[in-house]
Amino acid sequence: MRVRMRGATAIAVALLIGAAGCGGGSSNNNSSTSGTSSGGGQAGGTATVLMGTAPDYLDPQLGYTTQSAEPDWIIYTPLLTYRHANGTSGGQLIPGLATALPTVSRDGLTYTLTLRRGLTFSDGRPVRGSDFAYTIMRAIRVNWGGKSFYTNYIAGAAAYDRGSASTISGITTDDATGRITIRLTQPYGGFANVLAFPSSGLVPSGTAMRNLSNTPPPGVGPYKYSSVSVNRGFTIVRNPAFARFAIPNIPTGHLDTIRVTIVSNTQSEAQQVLNNQADVFDAGDTLPPALLPQIESQASDRFGRVPIPSTYYFFLNVTKPPFNNAKARQAVNMAIDRQAMVRLASGFLKPTCWFLPEGIVGHPGNNVRCPYGSTPDLAAAKRLVQQSGTAGTAVTVWGEQRSPRREYVDYYTDLLNKLGFKAQERIIADTVYFPTIGNAKTDPQTGFADWIQDFPNPSDFYLLMDGRSIQPTNNQNFSKVNDPHIQAELNRLNPVPATQLNSVANDWSTLDQYTASRAYVAVYGTETMPKFFSNRINFGAAVFHPTYLNDWTTLQLK
Amino acid sequence: MTATADSTVRAGAPAGRGADTAAGLSPYRLGLRRLLRNKPALAFGALFLLIVVLCLCAPLYAKYVAHTGPNDNHVTETVTVGGVKHDVVSPTGQPIGPTWQGQFLLGADQNGRDIAVRLLYGGRNSLEVGFIATLLTMVLATIVGIVAGFFRGVVDGVLARVLDLIWAYPVVLLGIALGTSLALGGITIGPLDLQGNSLLVPAFIIGIVYIPYVAKPIRGQVLGLREQEFVDAARVGGAGPMRIMWSEILPNLSSTIIVFVPLMIANAILLEAALSYLGAGVQPPNPSWGTMIADGIRLIPSAMHLTFVPGAMLVLAVLGVNVFGDGVRDALDPRAKVRLEEHAEEASR
Repeated sequence: MRVRMRGATAIAVALLIGAAGCGGGSSNNNSSTSGTSSGGGQAGGTATVLMGTAPDYLDPQLGYTTQSAEPDWIIYTPLLTYRHANGTSGGQLIPGLATALPTVSRDGLTYTLTLRRGLTFSDGRPVRGSDFAYTIMRAIRVNWGGKSFYTNYIAGAAAYDRGSASTISGITTDDATGRITIRLTQPYGGFANVLAFPSSGLVPSGTAMRNLSNTPPPGVGPYKYSSVSVNRGFTIVRNPAFARFAIPNIPTGHLDTIRVTIVSNTQSEAQQVLNNQADVFDAGDTLPPALLPQIESQASDRFGRVPIPSTYYFFLNVTKPPFNNAKARQAVNMAIDRQAMVRLASGFLKPTCWFLPEGIVGHPGNNVRCPYGSTPDLAAAKRLVQQSGTAGTAVTVWGEQRSPRREYVDYYTDLLNKLGFKAQERIIADTVYFPTIGNAKTDPQTGFADWIQDFPNPSDFYLLMDGRSIQPTNNQNFSKVNDPHIQAELNRLNPVPATQLNSVANDWSTLDQYTASRAYVAVYGTETMPKFFSNRINFGAAVFHPTYLNDWTTLQLK
Repeated sequence: MTATADSTVRAGAPAGRGADTAAGLSPYRLGLRRLLRNKPALAFGALFLLIVVLCLCAPLYAKYVAHTGPNDNHVTETVTVGGVKHDVVSPTGQPIGPTWQGQFLLGADQNGRDIAVRLLYGGRNSLEVGFIATLLTMVLATIVGIVAGFFRGVVDGVLARVLDLIWAYPVVLLGIALGTSLALGGITIGPLDLQGNSLLVPAFIIGIVYIPYVAKPIRGQVLGLREQEFVDAARVGGAGPMRIMWSEILPNLSSTIIVFVPLMIANAILLEAALSYLGAGVQPPNPSWGTMIADGIRLIPSAMHLTFVPGAMLVLAVLGVNVFGDGVRDALDPRAKVRLEEHAEEASR
């Protein structure tokens, strides 16, 4: 996922709806926060969450940015999900709508789960096992950006994607018993994590196979969508039915209502939280450098920096000039000044050249020398460009509007021009950025990209290097890498169960060094994210999840 | 100016009265004399001219004084001020403020780009867009206004509806819509192929959206002129429509056109700044006063000058050309001022 969880991000200047009062009083004290400390806060009330970028989609089978994952995680509970906890504990898989973690056959090809009994969607319809099969079909049919996680592994999913099958043969369900069986074509060690994607969050059978962001479908979770105002914001409210299910380790939430407002100006966004006019700063945004000293001095008790496994990079489309030339790609990697990127990020970036970030198995480590050096060598890079014969090639650099991503692209464009290319920028609205550059019709040469872990497994990051993940819309493999060696290694390493990942850490590390040497992307850093609240929120009790960032179910008014 | 009996001189134009007329000077000489007497207009005209000259000198300043281009990043570099080395951009992303020396005279932006250099280049871009847009507006609006007013009937009806269509949209919204779409795909008109980041794209957009604001008054004036005796005389003399429009009508519109030019330049510069501020005008990383204001906003608490300086330049340029334009109008059509004063008196009553 990108921060745009994948990253994400967006647009639209919206007026902040002021935080509603602390209302609610103590009318509802049945919220539980398993695994978190309530810290003496109150139940109920309303909080205002700001987002610098509108979610890419408010449809669980389409959303793939941090801004969409934050609400989707607590509105559409999948069969499996993650513990609502900080740090590495947050990466632990727990049963969601399933009664237990899956039973996996000895060959790693068959996953069996059982749906909990008595579940209902937020609109009251009963949840059935067949809804799971329908949900996966829907994610494939509407072209979710990570659909290759399904089509690459679930038997019959590729045929369904091609249109040669009307259902996915590898998924069998029994509505009477709630038994769900998933058959894979090849073992995949991270498949249990795939079942925990928000896109695997169940929606009712029959939900329209199209983008339903304006009227999101019902789900099963502590919260449900209440209203959506496109590109301006949305509101979620507590789902009263969820508490009855008493699913262990999934909090039912403290707040009655969470209002999300899009504020594309990060300066305004930060100022509102600093002044307690809004409650939560978008963790996917970078705090403006002008306000940082003030925040650190005046709000130190409600501000923190949380390192998150993420990779920030410029993609280099290997199918188009000039970056179909290896020397041109190497020149970019040789010339990029990662310390400059750190400053552009107001210090919220840690420089690295590796695609696998710290905290992910296979990260080569900071003691391993970067293939093209850790310090920029512009003169040598220029010579490489001259040798490559690509000097003078017109390059369009794609980027987002929001800061500091605009500044990254400004820097990068200047760098490409210094290298001898004729670079120009194309900055587009944050909300449409990733769908635009992920569309085959756009077929961009180069531009900004980032990735935050969907789950703590290197194979999640290597979705972006997997030739099989190239798709006509919502593509995530922006560099269009389809390298036989990488494919062979992925075929070998992906089946390794998550519990045995450490046994192949060196193999992943070797692969990552190979990827860096091929210069398919120009990685420049891994991000530290801001956890920044108003003084109305119980800061200590709020969980900052390693994948879903601010865990809204743990937000609590003081 | 309105078409009245004393304006039907072939020379076209500026109306003269009283002692000036008695002096036997040509209308333009009379206009120039009045303009030269208008000291505030001249002062603001000189201010605008100064800004234009400064902006035209941007490459010289960049090369010989600042030693950097408008888009050159200096994020990790240092600059020596008063014998002490300073980061151009601090490790926490805070850019250096004004150094009051050649390099980074007005400080740097977040990418370590020299604000003074960008300010001058931005002015060049803003003025270039303003001038080209005004030229486009005036040429097309004059043609449309003359053709519609002269031919009347179906031709007038069709052209008037097209103008109404453009007029129906608020200028800024229409500009944003066109700017956003054209910035992505550029525009191709016959042999003319404009890239999305070309300065001609915002110039084209602004030039188009302002056409009705000039074409409509010209059309109204042509409707009166075409009934004048000198036009009848030309017609009787065998002149065709094209010749009448070119030789008889157009010269009588010259003072109107001249009066419109500075006002349209001011409007075009302002609209360019608005569109660039909203990301639909000059495309990054190219500077314009609008984009610089937008870029500076997030640093307002610590570096207000990033927003204030381009804003001040914008205000001065627009004020300069506007006041000068008013002076030109007063000089070429003194009755316009009388009319305005009468309106003001009526309004105050």
